[in-house]
Amino acid sequence: MKLREIISLLHAEVLAGEDLINGIDVDRCYSADLMSDVLGRSHANGILITGITNPQAIRTADIADIQAVCVVRGKQPEAEAVALAKQKDLPLFITKMGMFEACGILYTNGLRGVAERQ
Amino acid sequence: MKLRDLVAEFGLTVKTGAGHLDNEVTGGYVSDLLSDVLAHAEDGNLWVTLHIHHNIVAVAAHTSLAGIVLIQGRVPDQDTIAKAEEEGIPIMVSDLSAFELVGRLYKAGIRGAEAL
Amino acid sequence: MTLERKEQGPPPDRMTKTQEMVYELTVGEVMPPTMVTVAPGQTMAELRVLLRDNRLSGTPVVENGKLVGMISIEDLINALTDNAINAPIRERMKTKVECLYADELLVHCIAKFSKFGYRRYPVLNRNNELVGIVTKGSIVEGLLKKLEVEYEQSESKAALTRQRPTMRKFFEDVTADEISFAFKYNIAGQTLKDAGKAASELKNALKKLGVCPPLLRRIGVATYEAEINLASYTKGGVIRAQVEKWGVTVEAIDTGPGIPDVEKALQPGFSTAPDWVRELGFGAGMGLVNMNKCADEMNLRSSVPEGTHLTMQFYYTS
Repeated sequence: MKLREIISLLHAEVLAGEDLINGIDVDRCYSADLMSDVLGRSHANGILITGITNPQAIRTADIADIQAVCVVRGKQPEAEAVALAKQKDLPLFITKMGMFEACGILYTNGLRGVAERQ
Repeated sequence: MKLRDLVAEFGLTVKTGAGHLDNEVTGGYVSDLLSDVLAHAEDGNLWVTLHIHHNIVAVAAHTSLAGIVLIQGRVPDQDTIAKAEEEGIPIMVSDLSAFELVGRLYKAGIRGAEAL
Repeated sequence: MTLERKEQGPPPDRMTKTQEMVYELTVGEVMPPTMVTVAPGQTMAELRVLLRDNRLSGTPVVENGKLVGMISIEDLINALTDNAINAPIRERMKTKVECLYADELLVHCIAKFSKFGYRRYPVLNRNNELVGIVTKGSIVEGLLKKLEVEYEQSESKAALTRQRPTMRKFFEDVTADEISFAFKYNIAGQTLKDAGKAASELKNALKKLGVCPPLLRRIGVATYEAEINLASYTKGGVIRAQVEKWGVTVEAIDTGPGIPDVEKALQPGFSTAPDWVRELGFGAGMGLVNMNKCADEMNLRSSVPEGTHLTMQFYYTS
């Protein structure tokens, strides 16, 4: 699924990496508030949906080779997180939706989850 | 939809609160941040989390949730089970990841507490 | 734990990638898009024609969309011997069938192949409906296809940025009794403010040295978790990484307070994290578990109150 389509489905606002969005296409979704949950999953071409607003969300995505981060529940990421996303060339966007709604919509539109690393 | 229907449809393993499966599910909430659950989850929501700590029972009781589903086969702590039985909070377990479980619940008609 | 590795010729880069891929690809991703099935009411004679025409050595038996058994050329030969070529498949099929799930990782699937020794496995979705069939051949084909795609991608990238000499090449060209690159990062304790910076910097450095992406990711994830632990639970410490000919060692060393029960700390879900750590997205008792999964070897030594010494090793081929 195109990142642009995801942004539109989630009525999301882009905070970083606007110029990179058109080139990104993903098929998996990591949804988690615990970064170790994300880090414990296997590698996949995916985005991260989280309620974490501090720079650790961006660090985690960077370390785990995740393509983009979406912060849910209408939260505003910390300024340091936005700056880090820009520095790491990682698209970051926010939505007012809760994680449940966001996941449901993306699942219905074809995204799938990521298996745990064994 | 009742908890009982979801247990059957999604093959959930009931760990506690088997006597409360007639609880009506008003919507879903998925989070591992207890403060977010306290702030945003609504009465009768089904809470999806991977926390197994007994704090989850207090949160569920406080917000009058319909029940808790632990994801990817997580096993609740002994004191979590004891506390949940005491409070009458159903705890169920699914083998799926949060994304996969929530996706399927959504497809079955359960909506998020903070829908736009 | 052993620090010595037998001297081997440099294994081809592709080998490492293939091995990493079995942890990333699912059965569903390598499964051929089409399959041939038979109904239990069809005869063994009909099966013979079907196997011949489709060049198959076996196929699933399906009734009302549900898998009811497997039938193979071996069963056909037995039927011929028993003079039962007109018997319905139902009477000759194997009903005890080992299945795979489409979302299972290839690494499990390969384990099942060697455990049960069957040639083909029906693949089910989580509603237990048959969605395909895999053989050893389809796994090899799936891996080759994925390798080809990755190879093309790395080729085009190499054309864009001048290819850097890989680390393996470096270790071949330079001789000494021992060669290693050493990296050291100081980690502050009791704050998550900069946690992850060291892991990110180490990952970048290793990338420049030519470590392949799947291994990079494993080292990055494990180092990040180690860094989070130093930042959350200790008075601070250091992360050291040593890059050698056979692989990479990452150590996390702190000055206390130490872990009272190491065995308990290694249990999934066990955590002593304070609330401030949990609200920042960590502290679910998964860190050490993740490190253990990512590292090829892990050793955790701790004493109270002196501190903890964690050693993780990552091999170029594992």
